Amino acid sequence: MRKHLKILEYALSSLWRRKFKSLGIIAVFSLIIFTLSSILLLTYAFKREAMEVLRGAPELIVQRISAGRHEMIPSWYGKRIQEIPGVGMVIPRYWGYYYDPSTGGNYTVMAAAGRGDRKLEMLSGKYPPAGGEVVVGKGVAESRFLSEGSRIPIKGSDGQVRNFIVAGIFTDESSLLTNDLIIMSLMDFRDVFKTGNERATDLVVQVFNPDEVENVARKIREIFPDTRPITRKEILRTYDTLFDWRSGMVLTMFGGALLAFIILAWDKAAGLSAEERHEIGILKAIGWETSDIMELRFWEGFVTSSVSFLTGLIGGYLHIFFFGASIFAPALKGWSVIFPSFRLLPYLNPYQVVVLMFLTVIPYMAATIFPSWKAAITDPDVVMRG
Amino acid sequence: MTNDTIIRAENLSLCINRGRPNEVWPVRDVSLQIKRGEVVVLKGPSGSGKTSLLSLLGCMSRPTEGRILVHGRDVAKLPERFLTEIRRKRFGFIFQQFNLIPGISVRENVMLPLYPVDISFREMRERADSLMDRLGLSGRSHFRVKGLSGGEQQRVAIARALVNDPEVIFADEPTAHLDTKLSSDLVGILEGLKKEGRTILIATHDPLLYEQGFIDRVLEMRDGSIR
Repeated sequence: MRKHLKILEYALSSLWRRKFKSLGIIAVFSLIIFTLSSILLLTYAFKREAMEVLRGAPELIVQRISAGRHEMIPSWYGKRIQEIPGVGMVIPRYWGYYYDPSTGGNYTVMAAAGRGDRKLEMLSGKYPPAGGEVVVGKGVAESRFLSEGSRIPIKGSDGQVRNFIVAGIFTDESSLLTNDLIIMSLMDFRDVFKTGNERATDLVVQVFNPDEVENVARKIREIFPDTRPITRKEILRTYDTLFDWRSGMVLTMFGGALLAFIILAWDKAAGLSAEERHEIGILKAIGWETSDIMELRFWEGFVTSSVSFLTGLIGGYLHIFFFGASIFAPALKGWSVIFPSFRLLPYLNPYQVVVLMFLTVIPYMAATIFPSWKAAITDPDVVMRG
Repeated sequence: MTNDTIIRAENLSLCINRGRPNEVWPVRDVSLQIKRGEVVVLKGPSGSGKTSLLSLLGCMSRPTEGRILVHGRDVAKLPERFLTEIRRKRFGFIFQQFNLIPGISVRENVMLPLYPVDISFREMRERADSLMDRLGLSGRSHFRVKGLSGGEQQRVAIARALVNDPEVIFADEPTAHLDTKLSSDLVGILEGLKKEGRTILIATHDPLLYEQGFIDRVLEMRDGSIR
């Protein structure tokens, strides 16, 4: 035991002796870990956030499809769906998108009547809005410089501009759900988008027994072949895939830079300098065994990679959960002009940490130990002359 | 082989780059015996094979042909870790270029052979301090070796060679980088080590060393052989 502690002590002294090289490797290595851990933590945090939001989402939504595209659904579909055994209420929802040329933002417009599934917190003003009024998300308010009582012009499908009064603004807390939202009365919604009185965007179907959701969906498809029932499970799966795809895309984007860094770190770690080879020769000549030199290099690699790993991981953690993931968030959140500003819930997945460690620390240690092993198994005489 | 014989070499040859156009034989068919307490000098011009023979006898390289017996045991074909153990427990080395590790202190350099040995840090420090004291280096223990004079570096190398209390000391051209005064000091140290009963093997072409009275035998080398 004493022997191992003494070799560890010598390893620390060696690292300190080559402090500029050691710090250089630690800096580069930390940056790699920082990038990888940021992407992993952010992807995972987004998934969790999305799952959290979708937990309150309806079990089953029914949309109408025409030529493979989403179409407004006639309200009477709901009445027929309600007759299916096990189905509770069927609530029509009214929503759509509105492109605002002045900000370049794409807003989600909803009718107040259709949004009874979730309680939303208001920053100021009142909810629901009356006729001629709207309640907007924080992102909309910021991009249009709106406050309670301001006016917001919205151009309808008939080309006519209608001026709405901002009756309320949602809070930051609900920003993930409401950031790009404009809520107006059902009457105004129908007037702006000219959807007619008998058609909704989709239908929320309440199913009493969650195990029966798939069966109900199947029955709806049988009755109305032109509909697409979407279960919450499917939405969750889609989000999962979406964030995996986005994190993969970001990793690919940073792949080149990462590779360059890895090659640099590998070169620095793996390449033994003439001075290091000479030192190995001296140590062997004066009685250090090959295993002692391996142990020395193991400790050096372990200390370097552990310090880098912890620095990178803590940096990534702070970056994601305390500095709003400023570097990677735009790519992972999406392409919308108005991003929701929200603080992700700090969480560290032990499985991801272990995987990250195996992908970075172990290869690094192998890269440092192998060349030393090659130098250490040579006769010390050759090493010292060479 | 008598009990007094520590090292015995039989028909020792060393070939470098065997089978290639640049093949050389620095040591050819050398046989010799080193007895306990003897001071033996390998004398000869540069390239005569002194350092290569010293390296073979010190178990730092393996012969191409022949046998090396240390206390009667043929070590030439032993696995590497046995050779390392012999070097760590029985031999001490003073190299021509000193081969100290720059960047660490004098004391750490002296203690280097003891890191893989299962003794405490305290004992390591005590042994190193005692030797540094004896060699006039006590005031230098925290200095970096880079800042020392040639003579001081030489004494650090000697202290390092002695810290594991070796039976045999191998010195390769120990006066090569020293002036006359420092060489005389070294002679005094080596003479003291002989008086302690140490066996010393020196490779040198410096008459100041091989003409000393405490030298028991001088073996002249040329073209890899002993004349």
